[in-house]
Amino acid sequence: MTALQRVPLRKIVRAIAGAAERWSDGDFPPRVRILERIAERTGYSLPVVEYALDRLFFSITQSDLEATIRSELGTLEILDGFAEHAGRPQAWAAPVGRVCMIASRTTIGVAITPAIFALCAKCDVVVKDREDALAGAFFDTLAEELDELKGAAQALVWSSDDEHAPDLSAFDAVVAFGSDSTLKAIGGALRSGARFIGYGSRASAGYVTRESLTDSQAKEIANGAARDLVLYESEGCLSLHVLFFEHGGGVDANRFCSMLAHAVERANVEFPLARENAGVSARIAQHRDLAAFRAASGTGAVYADADAAYALFLDPPKREPPQFLPRTLGIITVDDPSQALAYVRDHRLPLEGFAISSERPDVTQLAIDAGAVRLTQFGELQHPPLAGHHGGRPRIAEFIRWIDKT
Amino acid sequence: MYRSEADALDAEVLECIERGHVPDFNDLALRIFAHQLRYNQPYAKYCASRGVTLERMPESWDAIPPVPSAAFKEAALVTFEASRAELAFETSGTTQGRSGKHYMENSTLYDAALLAGFHDAVLRDAPQRMRYLLFVPNPEERPQSSLGYMMRRVAGFYGDGHDCWYLSGDTIDVGRFIDDARKAALEDIPVCLGGTAFAFVQVLDALAERAISSLALPPFSRVMETGGFKGRTRMVKREDLYADLARMFSIPQNRIIAEYGMTELTSQYYDDEERVKRPPAWLRPRVVAPSGKTLPDGVVGALAHVDLGNRSSCIAIHTEDLGVATGDGGIILLGREQGAELRGCSLDAEQLRALQRK
Repeated sequence: MTALQRVPLRKIVRAIAGAAERWSDGDFPPRVRILERIAERTGYSLPVVEYALDRLFFSITQSDLEATIRSELGTLEILDGFAEHAGRPQAWAAPVGRVCMIASRTTIGVAITPAIFALCAKCDVVVKDREDALAGAFFDTLAEELDELKGAAQALVWSSDDEHAPDLSAFDAVVAFGSDSTLKAIGGALRSGARFIGYGSRASAGYVTRESLTDSQAKEIANGAARDLVLYESEGCLSLHVLFFEHGGGVDANRFCSMLAHAVERANVEFPLARENAGVSARIAQHRDLAAFRAASGTGAVYADADAAYALFLDPPKREPPQFLPRTLGIITVDDPSQALAYVRDHRLPLEGFAISSERPDVTQLAIDAGAVRLTQFGELQHPPLAGHHGGRPRIAEFIRWIDKT
Repeated sequence: MYRSEADALDAEVLECIERGHVPDFNDLALRIFAHQLRYNQPYAKYCASRGVTLERMPESWDAIPPVPSAAFKEAALVTFEASRAELAFETSGTTQGRSGKHYMENSTLYDAALLAGFHDAVLRDAPQRMRYLLFVPNPEERPQSSLGYMMRRVAGFYGDGHDCWYLSGDTIDVGRFIDDARKAALEDIPVCLGGTAFAFVQVLDALAERAISSLALPPFSRVMETGGFKGRTRMVKREDLYADLARMFSIPQNRIIAEYGMTELTSQYYDDEERVKRPPAWLRPRVVAPSGKTLPDGVVGALAHVDLGNRSSCIAIHTEDLGVATGDGGIILLGREQGAELRGCSLDAEQLRALQRK
């Protein structure tokens, strides 16, 4: 029996939404206290951290939580006990049990969303917290909203070689974020039958169709793409990592890159650069200068600033995968979606998001064939909705155990 | 015109190498650079894109636009017809596995630079010819390796004629090395061990597996370590490696000398006793910001090098290696920050390469 099993779902949802609302306030003291610690841990600038917290907590509302649960489970009541739904036999969406969340050290609150859905499923939740103790601070607010949440949500700090680290084989489900090797190691520590919900590292892409390349629309696309690129230093799975640009529109690739460069410079003001890392800057500068070398020999073009705060590479060699460096982007010109698909497949890019400048069936098909799990417009890539299927997976369904009564 | 100009510059650089002194580095560097603008088309185009041409020459050597080292993978950076190159070494293929080539018109400068640099840094107090036991690519097997070529020249010029090579592919013949090391000890012939840091780790591991805790080499023996751990999964702290090498081979740590070089350069840096990398007189480092400006001493930045020995290729090279200038012409090498943790949940280039290998 879990700590929340007898608590009505609506009460839990109200408490979570209430806590999130308090955390949405930029002056909420726990949030103010933690802000610099998050910036210190991640290296992101304060405006970026503020933005990340806003995006996280503003999205957690009672109506969205309930809508997400309804869309996956049919009704809310089914989490409180046996209930009928849509002509199916009576069933109860019981909690899967104890759930552990392990997020990579360098993300902001990525474990909080799955944690709240696990709590909605009435699971006992343990989150591996980080040096800034964001999860712990949010859980404290949850406990203020609802006593029972105190026993249900725990944030602990441990390292992989820590003798006090929780025994992963004691959990009924484990959610983990990280590289393939990290996920493999964590998955191997689970007991047989436990659920493993792994979110591997992924990349995102965009496609600018020729129809959308009018002057005014191109500027809008460039503005959106710039935000998708610079937020979180291009280091999120929903950051724009490669952009396909279709020939034949009213704005040519060079002009579009010029628009994009201006937009990136503006976005750099709104979202200032992260703490400087000499190694990363040196790599960006090296790539920038290499692109300049190629351009001087007549291949491609580069749009960048002297400080290597950003770099846009127009038509880098197709044999090269995206650079995965902060605020750097390859813009690859294509005649049609098939060339974009070939690039994604050649480099085996595991895609999460795909931004599209205008609806077109063949481009939608490209995104699907390329393996993307989220299609959206430019500027929205990094704003997944609460109900979205991160990693192509459900939000709450993985934290429940169906019990049928027939 | 080209021949006489090239020969004159080569002779001048050669004289500097032989004397260990460059009377006017700035003047010679700018004349070599002008020569390259005339005859090295890809480099000249790149410089033109930076606003530097024969008509708009930089005022000093440190304003010569350095070419990114990766450009060697893009074009033959030469002042002559590449097919006439006397030497051609392959650069490492860390970017998408592609390698480039550093072509040199003749071997004279290269040989002179490597022999002089090695002698001054490694052999200064050597009382007699040493025996070279080497864990670097054998030129018979990998003629494109600049490191292999270098050590063959060194061993041929300074060695006792019994140099031994133990690396074949990725495998080190440790058994043969043990026999040769013991033989040298019996004969009381000082030994120079040469190899990459990673190769030395492998050798030490193999010796430990054989329960060998000491393989004392004769007095005045020494180690030349180079190359680091690029592309390797196992890394050992340099100070730990040196301590282990010193213990295993009974060599004082001040006779373990690190070399820092790259295929794109003709000349090499060597550590002094303070572990500061010292260039020979004909090579100068710059520590640069992303803007290309030279950084103040003590500030971390990317390394660029101006090597007069690169007369027939590119005189100035810009790398991703990080370092700081010590203020007296030396540099402290910090590597490439390969272990630096990226934030977020996106892929990084290493992960993508791992996925592609699967």
